[in-house]
Amino acid sequence: MLAIEINRLIKQYKNGVKALDNVNLKVNEGEIFSLLGPNGAGKSSLINILTTYYNPTSGNVTILGKDLSKNSTWIRTQIACVAQRISIDEHLSLMENMLFQSKLYKVNPEIAKKRIDSLINNFELSKYLKYPTASYSGGIKRRLDIAMNMISMPKILFLDEPTIGMDVNSRKAMWKMLLKIRNEYKTTIFLTTHYLEEAEQLSDSICIMKNGKVLTQGTSKKLKNYINPNMIRITFPSIEQAKKCKYTIDKIGLTKFTNIQDNSILTNVINRRTAFTSINKWLLEQNIEFDSIEIIEPSLEDVFLTLTSSKESEEEEWK
Amino acid sequence: MINILWRNIKWRIQNPIAIIIPLLQPLIWLVLYSAVANQTLQDTGITNYTAFILPGIIILVTFGACCSSGMINFIMKSNGSFFRILIAPISRTSIVLGQILEAILISFIEVIILFLVSLFYSVTIASGTTGIAFMVLLIFITAFFMSSLAYTISLFLPNEVIYETIMTAIVLPIFFLSSALFPPENLSGGLAIAVTLNPFTHIINSLRSLIFEKSILLENILPVIGLFIILCCGSFALAIWKLKKETAN
Repeated sequence: MLAIEINRLIKQYKNGVKALDNVNLKVNEGEIFSLLGPNGAGKSSLINILTTYYNPTSGNVTILGKDLSKNSTWIRTQIACVAQRISIDEHLSLMENMLFQSKLYKVNPEIAKKRIDSLINNFELSKYLKYPTASYSGGIKRRLDIAMNMISMPKILFLDEPTIGMDVNSRKAMWKMLLKIRNEYKTTIFLTTHYLEEAEQLSDSICIMKNGKVLTQGTSKKLKNYINPNMIRITFPSIEQAKKCKYTIDKIGLTKFTNIQDNSILTNVINRRTAFTSINKWLLEQNIEFDSIEIIEPSLEDVFLTLTSSKESEEEEWK
Repeated sequence: MINILWRNIKWRIQNPIAIIIPLLQPLIWLVLYSAVANQTLQDTGITNYTAFILPGIIILVTFGACCSSGMINFIMKSNGSFFRILIAPISRTSIVLGQILEAILISFIEVIILFLVSLFYSVTIASGTTGIAFMVLLIFITAFFMSSLAYTISLFLPNEVIYETIMTAIVLPIFFLSSALFPPENLSGGLAIAVTLNPFTHIINSLRSLIFEKSILLENILPVIGLFIILCCGSFALAIWKLKKETAN
């Protein structure tokens, strides 16, 4: 069953900015769904609509089988959202924060007590109970924030860039926690992130957005396969040389599209083996100085860059 | 509603300065200004100037406490809990009421402190227990109206600095263009009209009559209560409308 279904969603603000442009999405129940995109892609606008904070300009959103525009009150009882900014009340203790949230969602006090105990245990928060919440580190505050939002046992948990600003260890602890939520509580998790590694590690499905439009949606594996066999990276001594060479490589017709990444050219080719040999030969014949050339296993970042540049190339062609 | 109220009270307990600061200036007015005015205004027929300005000071302290119901919105917005509460399955009426009731509660705590201080200046309530009940009602509706208004204004403004400036620009003219500090009988022209049109003048006059007069003049007090109930309904509806607009972007 689908947890979320979005059809032709448009969000245009009063200042004329179109944050979402004809977005279509499907999120299955019980999966971790990651929404990837750069700043201004429309991720936060989408999450704000799905959590009933904003109204869409047009289009249909169905959450757990019900129309969002007609059933926002009911939908609020079924969802929770961990916002980008940590939203715990620092003047309340850990337990008071949990109790406050349980009362907001009208959870029966007996059930709330059991859930609080279970969440404190599962989120390894018990040793922080005696300390004021204001003294917690960012990671612990974030953990409490998520635990609080789980008190109502939401069917869908939205997380807006939950690991932003976290160190590597805290981020990995967070991933473990999100997987635990999905596995133990069967909660559908919808998260937005800048980190491609995060989406790759966690997600069952990934959607990549740019400028309010969906570039692609699919499983992590499927997106990798999208370019997997045909990626080549050529590394140059400097970024200037990489830029100069990109211009020439684009003209010789061996590549579908290219992108600059630091001092490397990342290129998507028609056939990786033929292209590897041909590009290598061409570089040597032209006496172009380069450090390395390799066929690479792409990361999601490569997928993202390739997708965005391929769209740009398409747009250029249409102009 | 009780949940929001409890949470806001906890915030006040953790930040007692938010109770002390709004009380400080009115207390100075009550103690120092009445001491000076008691000597300089002996010919005006006012026997106890502390008792005379107490109603005005009560309104001033209520203004201060109620302004904080708007200030809490900025604190909540900056710490993210504003969004968390708005997307929770809780009625908008409960959110506004919880916040307003906290401001009313703080108003009453501060008014009680003012009364306790004024006891040292021989201030008594001539109208007795019934008069006190009417005073409680008058203070309640004043606080309800002001806190709803402050709540609405805070949702229109971008930050707390502008909010504080606007609230000061509203509160001080209202206070000075009322009968808070002087008997309005000798005023004439535009000033007299402004003071008469100021609804808080009538609240202050009603409170004053309950402090000084043994008999309760219902024909004077009931229209004031009626007027403020209408103002309360209007400002409360405005607050809910504006809060609903927050989720209708």
